[in-house]
Amino acid sequence: MSGLRVGFAGLTHLGLVSAAAAADRGFDVVGFDADAAQVERLQRQELPVTEPGLPELLAKHRAAITFTTRAEELATCALAYVAPDVATDDLGQSDLVPLRALIATVAAVLPADTPLVVLSQIPPGFTRALEAPARRFCQVETLVIGDAVRRALSPERFIVGCADPAAALPAALGEYLAAFGCPILRMGYESAELAKIAINVCLVASISAANTLAELCERIGADWAEIVPALRLDRRIGAHAYLGPGLGIAGGNLERDLATVSRLADTHGTDAGVVRAWLANSRHRRDWALAQLHERVLEGRPDAVVALLGLSYKADTASTKNSPALALLAALTPFAVRAYDPVVATRAVSHEHLVQAASALEACAGADGLVIMTPWTEFRTLAPAAIAQRLRGRVVIDPYGVLATDACRAAGLEHVRLGSPLPAPRR
Amino acid sequence: MTAEVGLIHSRATPEPPGRVVLLGGGGFIGGRLRAALARARIPTLAPRRSELDLAGAEAATHLRELLRPGDAVVVLAALTPDKGRGLAPFMANLAMAAGVCIALEKVDPSHVVYFSSDAVYGAATGRLTEASCAEPNDLYGTMHLARELMIRASARGPVAVLRPTLVFGADDTHNSYGPNRLRRMAQKDGRIVLFGEGEEMRDHVEVGDVAALTLEVLRHRSAGTLNVASGRAISYAELARKVARLFERPIAITGTPRQTPITHRHFDVTALRRAFPTFAFTTLDDGLARAHREMLEQG
Repeated sequence: MSGLRVGFAGLTHLGLVSAAAAADRGFDVVGFDADAAQVERLQRQELPVTEPGLPELLAKHRAAITFTTRAEELATCALAYVAPDVATDDLGQSDLVPLRALIATVAAVLPADTPLVVLSQIPPGFTRALEAPARRFCQVETLVIGDAVRRALSPERFIVGCADPAAALPAALGEYLAAFGCPILRMGYESAELAKIAINVCLVASISAANTLAELCERIGADWAEIVPALRLDRRIGAHAYLGPGLGIAGGNLERDLATVSRLADTHGTDAGVVRAWLANSRHRRDWALAQLHERVLEGRPDAVVALLGLSYKADTASTKNSPALALLAALTPFAVRAYDPVVATRAVSHEHLVQAASALEACAGADGLVIMTPWTEFRTLAPAAIAQRLRGRVVIDPYGVLATDACRAAGLEHVRLGSPLPAPRR
Repeated sequence: MTAEVGLIHSRATPEPPGRVVLLGGGGFIGGRLRAALARARIPTLAPRRSELDLAGAEAATHLRELLRPGDAVVVLAALTPDKGRGLAPFMANLAMAAGVCIALEKVDPSHVVYFSSDAVYGAATGRLTEASCAEPNDLYGTMHLARELMIRASARGPVAVLRPTLVFGADDTHNSYGPNRLRRMAQKDGRIVLFGEGEEMRDHVEVGDVAALTLEVLRHRSAGTLNVASGRAISYAELARKVARLFERPIAITGTPRQTPITHRHFDVTALRRAFPTFAFTTLDDGLARAHREMLEQG
């Protein structure tokens, strides 16, 4: 134990992962949330989110974390993070009202010299507009759902927005951040707030480039999977660049930042045409599986049965925010769908002819085509021969390539994936 | 995020409209739609020009007398480009639409379907969706875009705007550069002459599919904008080869020196698939064969 007590207010995905990481670094942690039912569940080790490694980490540090509904307990902390996840609407606009209310609650109980750090997803200008900004900081969160624990334990860097970037950080904040052993970048509030958005915009640029070129590959006989290694060896692009083709952008956070850039650009008269183009491309690629299904399975077959694996917007999460799978389901209303997801229950989905299967293979039974919309690890272990045995049809639409094309072909299946030359429909 | 484009159905469960008033029922698409409505036993009023002259001074009054509240109105009537692309047909088409709009304002139809054109996209190339910029580059496209806005401003109920791309069928009198002209060239001269080498990619829809899709729009009382395209573009060279194969005798296919740059046009039909998931287009091969057969029957 370092002896330093750190508070986290707002116990959803970001707050919980951050609190667990703080405990793992040896800090005494107070986790505050006004939702009594939520706190009770956390005290029973029941988590409101699906995140690999998080239950284990929280269980390991159970003794170091106090979950409470009493904001006053934050007053005993040397610094307090305000870290609720900020919800967005369908247009990617943030609802900042609950965050402002929580900041006011925390600020009211903190001693005047205790640093308050806003960790939530906020737009440029937010922190400066808070009352008494001198003891307020903002810190860029780079939570990646599904990889959040690893990133929280071993961050690449900390980006801290300050009233005066030239001044040293308060001792408690400096000590806390130093415990993670990564670079600490101090900058003005607006720079830090925009840095978070800049990271996501660069990711989207990379994703959009990959998706644009992967689509071209599908039509001209090239294979994006063969090209990617060449790009990764280019230092200007990088070994860890987001180059995997996908079904557009989803999840809510990237969309939020694109919406913020568009809004700010419109307000200030700067150009955001490329951002709008990325959004349009995202929408286009989101519907890739629908187009493949129509061409290969559905056309002229109103009685077709579709097997659908994966409902969440990506693997290792229960989140379906802007999920391509749900967009696909909405376009399959007349068709029978047999769906399976390891964590998302189909009862959360509105579809008249949807049957929830107990397993991936059960979903395949009697279906005319299979679509694998989320690259869950569990699906990678499926044997194409077992799928072929259960499917009535031969088509497997597998955007992320969780199955091997050769193995699918050997099992007599028509395997279609993003970025790979599209086989001619057999029908 | 960008909003979804395409159609929204007022009726989740399709139901035939009580009566359809079809303006322009004597034309290429109108004739096929009238037949489809008759087959579906949907009461239809399709006034001939002698009964309702939309270009006449009293058009609005006469149309108002014909319309009943609750009618579904399909507006197909227009002077097509083969009648000229100049100012006169442009103004005449707007005047025609103005008469329709005045009548629509006086009588509350339950639904209006306006037949526009992909000419509203002007010289746009590549992939098009209903969200693509409608930026016409000629008076014909401008006319349709203006009429879309006029109709939308006048009708209080749901309005569906359909923007068909190149439509073909045996009864097509327009002779625009497409399957019918290529077939006529082959029939008459034994050869097909292409612009350049026929590299341009275009989407061609069979007129029967346009009628069938319109019926679905009417049954669902849909509102919004929909491109009417199959989603499968083909080069003119390949189209010519398909047409040539319809003839027993050999048909020569020849190119000409290119006068204009190559442009391609593909349609992303996601919005159509979302609106009508079970709708299936006739394959181009089947459509061409049908048109060929019907044209031979017509002599």
